[in-house]
Amino acid sequence: MQYLVDQIVSGIAVGAIYGLIAMGLALIYKSTGLANFAQGEMAMLIAYIAWTLAGLMPGHPWLVVGGALVASVVLGLAIERLIMRPMLGEPVFATVMVTIALAVILRAGAMLIWDPYPHALDIGIGRGVVMLGATGLREAQLAAILTLMAALAGFWAFFRYSRIGKAMRAVAADSRAAQLMGISAARIHAIAWTASAVIAGLAGIFFALLYDVSPNLYHVGLKSFPATILGGLDSVLGSGFGGVLIGVAENLAGGYLASSIKEIAGFIVIIAVLMIRPFGLFGERDIERV
Amino acid sequence: MNAGTLEIRNLQVIYGGAIEAVRDVSLKVEPKQIVALLGANGAGKSTLLKALSGVLDDEEGTIESGAITFDGHDLAGLKPVDIVHRGIVQVPEGRRLFPSLTVDENLDMGGFAATPAQLTERRTVVFELFPRLAERRKQIAGYLSGGEQQMVAIGRALMGGPRVLALDEPSLGLAPIVIDLIYDIVRRLNRDLGVTVLLVEQNAQRALGLASYGYIIERGRIVLDGPSARLVGNADVREFYLGVTGADRKSLREVKHYKRRKRWLS
Ligand SMILES: Nc1ncnc2c1ncn2[C@@H]1O[C@H](COP(=O)(O)OP(=O)(O)OP(=O)(O)O)[C@@H](O)[C@H]1O
Ligand SMILES: [Mg+2]
Repeated sequence: MQYLVDQIVSGIAVGAIYGLIAMGLALIYKSTGLANFAQGEMAMLIAYIAWTLAGLMPGHPWLVVGGALVASVVLGLAIERLIMRPMLGEPVFATVMVTIALAVILRAGAMLIWDPYPHALDIGIGRGVVMLGATGLREAQLAAILTLMAALAGFWAFFRYSRIGKAMRAVAADSRAAQLMGISAARIHAIAWTASAVIAGLAGIFFALLYDVSPNLYHVGLKSFPATILGGLDSVLGSGFGGVLIGVAENLAGGYLASSIKEIAGFIVIIAVLMIRPFGLFGERDIERV
Repeated sequence: MNAGTLEIRNLQVIYGGAIEAVRDVSLKVEPKQIVALLGANGAGKSTLLKALSGVLDDEEGTIESGAITFDGHDLAGLKPVDIVHRGIVQVPEGRRLFPSLTVDENLDMGGFAATPAQLTERRTVVFELFPRLAERRKQIAGYLSGGEQQMVAIGRALMGGPRVLALDEPSLGLAPIVIDLIYDIVRRLNRDLGVTVLLVEQNAQRALGLASYGYIIERGRIVLDGPSARLVGNADVREFYLGVTGADRKSLREVKHYKRRKRWLS
């Protein structure tokens, strides 16, 4: 029984990391109509930057995290302004290819700038163990879960109450009409990319604290795809929950069946779910009557 | 230049570098006037409004020549946002609400650039004009009836505080009784709120009943213009646009050589 609980709790923790990255994916998809194949690579790059900062500023964990988040803001803005905005109006396929190219470049770039070996991200926090009843959790695991919860609540309120959040939904629904209302789609896209890079960066840092920093960190991005498809590609909150479901399913499959099934468990779950709900668990069905 | 005058001079719009949708169109809307722009399918009416709002770009449309001025300032080349800020707001063809947003949220988006105080004030005006929207404010816009959606579309545009409201076929797909209601609202916002209106329609009968001046566009060209009363009395307009049948002729252009008043060329 304790084994089951342990598996579920650590599944939720790793699922929270998938969920954060998946929320970023859904955010970009929702506001720009694009699947960003470089989401995991963005997380990887920020984790590397955190690792470098940790080497430069030992003993200042919050400066390291803060610096890495500033870097992710810059990264998000730069990708939108320099790469995605010039692609506006080009066919979706071409634009998605550009994100794939970006992914490859970021991966290769990390190996060039840093090296292909795994490194531990040690900032002096995140490794301690917190006991929740009989279940032990590392601080970084708990932080990932709490961050996901904060992100879910934050985005929920953002979309519902804030002017920019509502404008983001409007651009997603009809970007031409939004333009006619004086909403600048470019500005909305920039905000989406920035927010998405920040949550991907946080996920990257949590992952690096729990495991390590290596070019393979982009693999968490691969897990975020089933998460967001499960939750609904256009549903930011659904994608967060989708991540948790994938994390738990993976851990249970790995713990009870075979470790070889663990890697594909998430994909099996989405095939099953999509057969029943093709638009994902929380995705919006198109409103036909317009 | 007259404050609040909208002028289009010798406008030419081309799509994709090849298709000429608007050709040498000149048109003038004086402050507080209602002007009708009438024409059949594909005449170039929506293209003209897209040029006015600065949204030709995403369809590969370009203004090849001519000018659009408001208050004497050139609008061509401005971003859609800036055009809205100058007070020109469009209610697009087919309404184009944000279907997954509520009525209230749609209205908020219309007033995206407005201050909170302006939003409150304008929303009160919109709900006075359309009491039905006040009842439906929390509902998802995509599930409203066609007439209600048109009300939201007009209300949303009003939230932007327009000086000129451009309506693209507001009667499209609506029952006659609903069209009456919409037209009545347009009359009121012109008369009571002093909003200038450029009304694009295929339905000449109704549009000329509301507007004081009308232009008729065919295949991208203005073929006739004049005060509504004169257009309504014109035999050819009666034949082609008011459904009063006569001889077997195809279009105004083939009928007579209207001496177009070259007001902008002189
Ligand atoms: N994006 C586009 N690309 C190429 N041609 C276009 C485009 N949009 C419109 N056209 C063409 O330009 C001409 C004018 O179209 P427009 O939509 O302005 O007509 P309209 O008067 O609004 O017609 P309707 O009453 O059917 O709405 C048509 O011949 C149309 O086929
Ligand atoms: Mg049209």
